[in-house]
Amino acid sequence: MSARDQLLEHRPSILVAALGTTFGVGLLGVTHVLEQIVASDAAVAASGTVSTMLGFVAAVFVGLALYVGAIVTANTFATVVAGRTPTIALMRLLGSSARDQRRAVAREGLVVGVAGAVLGTLVGLALVVVAVRVLVGRGQLPDLAYSYFSVGGLVPAVAVVLTTVAAAWVGSRRVLQVTPLQATDAAQDAPVAGRSRRIVRTVVAALLVVGGGLLLVVGVVVGLVDAMGVLIAFFGGVLSFTGVVVGAHALMPAVLSAVGRTFGTSQVARLAAENAVRQPERSTRATIGIVIGVTLVTTLSVALETLRSFIYSIEQDPSYAAELDQVFTTTLLIVAALVGFSAVIAAVGMVNDMSLSVLQRRRELGLLRAIGSTAGQVRRMILLEATQMALTAIVVGVVLGVVYGWAGAQALLGSANQGLLIAPTLPVPLLLGLAVTAAVLAGVAALVPARRATSVTPVEALAAR
Amino acid sequence: MTPTPQPQPAPSPRLADPTRGGAVPVARVRNVTKSFGQGDGRVDALRDVSLDLPAGRFTAVMGPSGSGKSTLMHITAGLDSATSGRVLLGDTDITGLDDTELTLLRRRRIGFVFQAFNLVPTLDVSANIELPFRLDGRRATADERAWIDWLVATLGLGARLTHRPHQLSGGQQQRVAIARALATRPDLIFADEPTGNLDSKAGRDVLDVLRTASTDHGQSIAMVTHDPVAASYADRVVFLADGRIVHEIDRSSAAEISGVMLDLERVA
Repeated sequence: MSARDQLLEHRPSILVAALGTTFGVGLLGVTHVLEQIVASDAAVAASGTVSTMLGFVAAVFVGLALYVGAIVTANTFATVVAGRTPTIALMRLLGSSARDQRRAVAREGLVVGVAGAVLGTLVGLALVVVAVRVLVGRGQLPDLAYSYFSVGGLVPAVAVVLTTVAAAWVGSRRVLQVTPLQATDAAQDAPVAGRSRRIVRTVVAALLVVGGGLLLVVGVVVGLVDAMGVLIAFFGGVLSFTGVVVGAHALMPAVLSAVGRTFGTSQVARLAAENAVRQPERSTRATIGIVIGVTLVTTLSVALETLRSFIYSIEQDPSYAAELDQVFTTTLLIVAALVGFSAVIAAVGMVNDMSLSVLQRRRELGLLRAIGSTAGQVRRMILLEATQMALTAIVVGVVLGVVYGWAGAQALLGSANQGLLIAPTLPVPLLLGLAVTAAVLAGVAALVPARRATSVTPVEALAAR
Repeated sequence: MTPTPQPQPAPSPRLADPTRGGAVPVARVRNVTKSFGQGDGRVDALRDVSLDLPAGRFTAVMGPSGSGKSTLMHITAGLDSATSGRVLLGDTDITGLDDTELTLLRRRRIGFVFQAFNLVPTLDVSANIELPFRLDGRRATADERAWIDWLVATLGLGARLTHRPHQLSGGQQQRVAIARALATRPDLIFADEPTGNLDSKAGRDVLDVLRTASTDHGQSIAMVTHDPVAASYADRVVFLADGRIVHEIDRSSAAEISGVMLDLERVA
């Protein structure tokens, strides 16, 4: 395989690494600038506290972006390795050891990580400089002699290199299972993978979900008499959501299947539904990042919206309400933007997963065309598959987010509401926005693979290896 | 609708094909040329080939690698287009059909058995066999259902209906492919090296099934192969070399067919 082909295969991983670095370096750059502004202002005495808080918030969101990026990259590498099986088998046949082959893949991970980190650092720093200059020019920031560069600001770049290598290592596990014999046997497609049975992981996840869920309930109950219940609920939420992410390999395929069944019983719908879960691990990794992003934004949004409705019901002063709206909207937009970056990385992962999986199914698509699937049926199948993944990710995220958001608001407000339950208020604009996002995501993920799948003749597709 | 009493389906249902006997061709290839590339790089895979495939008969197309035999069959089966010339399936001139029309023609009037990758891995045996009907947005009719059940029983697939392709041996997979190809009672079954990936016992089983489909049920079959043993199961063997039909013999032994092949190699 030529270096150019490898670059093409790794382009999405480089993009993911670059996005993560841009976000991290940019956010730390902004934090750095804010610290300088705060330090220059004698009125703010507790500048040390402010800077610690900013640093903590930045670390949480950068950590989230890196985690989602690592999931996406591990998935991409696993898929790339699956596509390279014949080449790897040939190398094994010629005497290369499995460990050498895996190390070679991990080295590619290092190159990908460094390339993405360098690119992302440059873009991230440039964005901060441009943003500050524009804001200073418009008089919205004091004109100080800002320093943009700090050694600490490069931590995200280093972290991206490390997580990319780690993700490549995890994703290349399959290399060890490639036998030299597979080079000589071009006959059979890899069998459809069964559901992964990782018992320890599933048990840990179940414990986290159940334990966290109980804490959440306790928090809500305590909240009926004391607003401190929200702290208990918060920990319950964090624990149970960690459980959901850890147990995603069990949850996501099941929900994907359920969503797939709602698409009807036509042959196209059935094929699409089966395709979305044929590689459960892959589909899980392709969707869980989006679930994380949607859950976080929905949680905050539902909590704030419920809080706002509650305050409106007892507070009549319109000017106060307007001020409150302003604060809530700003908070939500900032958090949505911060979480949104991770969601974009996750979306890149899903688009890439669809693209690679269709590419690796060329022969099967050729067979379907040969025995009588029209080009339109093949395109519809791919679009349905992408819709199923996007819809599943967003529905799971919304459901979890509504539960968490309501639980948080309830735990906080229960005591103020004479110990009564409060109905959650659903933020309609958010739900509409997510529906549009699902449609756009599915469309983008399906567009290129669908066109590519039907642009070759059945004979060419059947001859593909 | 007035239900009229129907006789039970015969244990071995026949295809309704009055043209059996080979008088009327099921497919006619007329002066087909297929070229790849342009100018100096131009390669002619087929040069002015004309061929009739008689209805109800089992025709083998043989030739060395690069002789154009697969290209000829792809064009005849509506999988590829000719550079010039015409192909008629029954009375339909398929050379002028667009992609969707060709797809529907393949779905309803042609059955396929390839060397490998015949089955959709996410579907079980039963769903794979019914795929052409389901792609048409319908279920098999009662009559078709009886025919499929008979095929499944005859091909020994009864216990495998809920298995996925990767749970089957190569021979079983090919028999599922044959069941799917026969299920729609197509005008023509196109088999491309159907035994190429099988051991000799499984290969003979598959060839027996194809032969029986032709002799007992009047199924028209065209098979591309380079294996003289496989070709010896056919009623007629057509030899291609260098993009032209160079020889043709009626049913012959594997030894005779090998002899012809060797002669062709010597000339080439």
